[in-house]
Amino acid sequence: MVWRAGSLLGLATALALAAGSLAGAQQKTEVRVGVLAYLGPDEAASAWEPTLAQLNAALPAYRFTMVAGSQAFLTAAVAAHRLDFLITNPGHFLELKVDYSASALATEQDLDGFSSSESVGAAIVVLDRRAELQHPADLRGLKIAAAAPDAFGFRAAFGELLERGLDPLKDVNPVFTGFPVDGVLTMVRAGQADAGVIRSCLLEKVIAEGRAGAQEFRVLGRKTGNGAKCQVSTRLYPGWAFVKVAQTPKPLADEVARVLLAMQPGAGEKVWNQPDDYLSVQDLYRSLHVGPYAPFTRLGIADLLWRYRYLAAVVGMAALWWVAYVIRVAQLVRRRTRELAEAYELARLKDVKFEHAMRLSLMGEMASSLAHEINQPLAAILTYARGCERRLEHGADPQGLREAIGRIAIQAERAGDIVRRMRDFVQKNPARQAPMEPAAVFREALALFAPTAASRDLAVEADIPEELPLVRADRVQLEEVILNLLQNALEAIGERADGKIRFAATQEGATIVAAVSDNGPGLTQEARNRLFEAFFTSKSGGLGLGLSLSRSIVEAHGGRLGADEQASPGATFRFYLPIIEEDVRV
Amino acid sequence: MSELSPIVYIVDDDPAVRDAVAFLVASVGYSARACASAQELLDALDETRPACLVLDVRLPGLSGLELQRALSERRSVARIVFISGHGDIPKAVRAIHLGAVDFLEKPFDDQLLLDRIGEALAASSGDLRRRAGQRRQERKMSGLTNREREVLRLVIAGKTSKAIALELDISVKTVENHRQNIMAKADVASVAQLIGWACEPD
Repeated sequence: MVWRAGSLLGLATALALAAGSLAGAQQKTEVRVGVLAYLGPDEAASAWEPTLAQLNAALPAYRFTMVAGSQAFLTAAVAAHRLDFLITNPGHFLELKVDYSASALATEQDLDGFSSSESVGAAIVVLDRRAELQHPADLRGLKIAAAAPDAFGFRAAFGELLERGLDPLKDVNPVFTGFPVDGVLTMVRAGQADAGVIRSCLLEKVIAEGRAGAQEFRVLGRKTGNGAKCQVSTRLYPGWAFVKVAQTPKPLADEVARVLLAMQPGAGEKVWNQPDDYLSVQDLYRSLHVGPYAPFTRLGIADLLWRYRYLAAVVGMAALWWVAYVIRVAQLVRRRTRELAEAYELARLKDVKFEHAMRLSLMGEMASSLAHEINQPLAAILTYARGCERRLEHGADPQGLREAIGRIAIQAERAGDIVRRMRDFVQKNPARQAPMEPAAVFREALALFAPTAASRDLAVEADIPEELPLVRADRVQLEEVILNLLQNALEAIGERADGKIRFAATQEGATIVAAVSDNGPGLTQEARNRLFEAFFTSKSGGLGLGLSLSRSIVEAHGGRLGADEQASPGATFRFYLPIIEEDVRV
Repeated sequence: MSELSPIVYIVDDDPAVRDAVAFLVASVGYSARACASAQELLDALDETRPACLVLDVRLPGLSGLELQRALSERRSVARIVFISGHGDIPKAVRAIHLGAVDFLEKPFDDQLLLDRIGEALAASSGDLRRRAGQRRQERKMSGLTNREREVLRLVIAGKTSKAIALELDISVKTVENHRQNIMAKADVASVAQLIGWACEPD
């Protein structure tokens, strides 16, 4: 709000002055002098016009124009290189000195009798009738009006309060009226604030102008003995500074300084002296942690952003980009994760389907032998049953048929077993590994394969110990591996009359080793190299998937599958399964 | 002449099927003999009795068809009914060509099997009888000389002694001598009896 008000003021003033001087010297170089307008542009103009008039008179090559505005406006104008000089209060000068390398050419001394180094102070005023308010310390917890947080008077007064043990930001409740400073007196008069902070001599000026009663206001903590004509609550600080900004050419600055110091003021006009060092102001600002000594957060965020707007824009964009990037990455990660999960699930499903298809194909190869194998008990059952019928028809003793009926039951169980084995083998359940006795699984697989071997007048020679340590396995998958190897062996033997297939299982250390051997033609070197490649096959009707699938199954069980290097005659395939640790056994 | 009782042999490597068929066959009164292999059958087969083989095509060792060929070469009287787990048409055709009574698929209809066994036993029994007749005939004829067999053939054909003498280019007296010798060996008194002796199987 302050900034905007100031900018409007400044703009209006600049326009007015520009319009007024447009007709004059076009050839003259314009020199823009910012003036802090704490009492409003008119007051500022009347206070400093004489100084500018003298400069214009003394330096005809230049046209000095006044740009009045608030502290924030002037700071911004300096930052934008729109000003060459400023006339401003000590506090503002200090900020400009630190932030923009500004320097003071002269220090103001008014004709009221103050020295230039003790020219400006602040008065803390209360309504005279507020008898309970006698000392600045009485203001604890009360409302104090001031023009603006960065008004020099306010800061001077706060420095005073701080010295008296009152933290201005915590212990009192400041309210800001904005410029001009007259508003402070108005608030105090209306009771909207308990006290007000104004520039030294303002109260006297207002009383002289009849805008306040002589006894209406009282100054708290009044300092005496400094020879001042005005009542002040604070120590006195140097007067206002005529400030040169960093880029103003030195010759011009020197000329201006010379004119200022040689100036012969009229009545009520300002006197310019050698520049003060403003150390007292630095001390004040340091104790208040304001201006150049403000901790980062105490600075107005808006000011800070404005001051570093390019950097802020870059940082902001970087931050935005980073946020967008992080969101994008998070999105991508989420999407990819989902895609990956889907792909994995799909692959797993395909794998399950594929494996199931392989089992069906294996079963297909064994189907006709298995059908025959089921047919045998069925034929026996039927024949026994008919025999019983006939015997009963001929008046046989039903007791005598018990044995036959028992045999029927046995044969029905036999057929049921085969059907169960087949059904278990082609079931579409997802693979599930569980601890199991491998010898039982091996025997199941051999039982399932026996009819197929028998159809070629072969019997698989089995060497399986009565009991083997437990392994963690999916029963059906394990059977599938064995049947695959047995089927391969059978096909390797082909039509040989003396074909032999041998299945042997044994424990070797922490593994179970199972081997399927045949006395077929054996493996060629090429076949040996490409044995576990998918779609490589030496069989006329083979898909070339059996061994590669068997190997993945065995590996999924933590084991391995391979062909013996030296197995002659014929081939030997061997797979290893890890035994479950003792303590895991149930 | 009383014939020995027939035997049904069941040859199947599946003990259940073997026992079941034996049980069925026995339930209609046949004597049954179960064999696990072709060799066991060959060892057990009694060629003096009507025999029917209920034979599985697929056997360990000597197969069903090989056994059929072996029996055929031996001129066995045993007749064969094949049974098979799977309908193997080429095998069935070969089996029938080689004289099998039938080729039944498991599981078979019991009545059909028993009918076929009955037919097989009848055929086998016929074979046995025919062969017994032939053997007797051969034995009768084996007592006669070659000339006497020639004379007997012409006598049965109804030729007179004179016509026989003319045909064989021998004297009528010699023909008469042969006739008397033949009738003495056949132990008959008349030509009519002689014809009966020569043509009747028993």
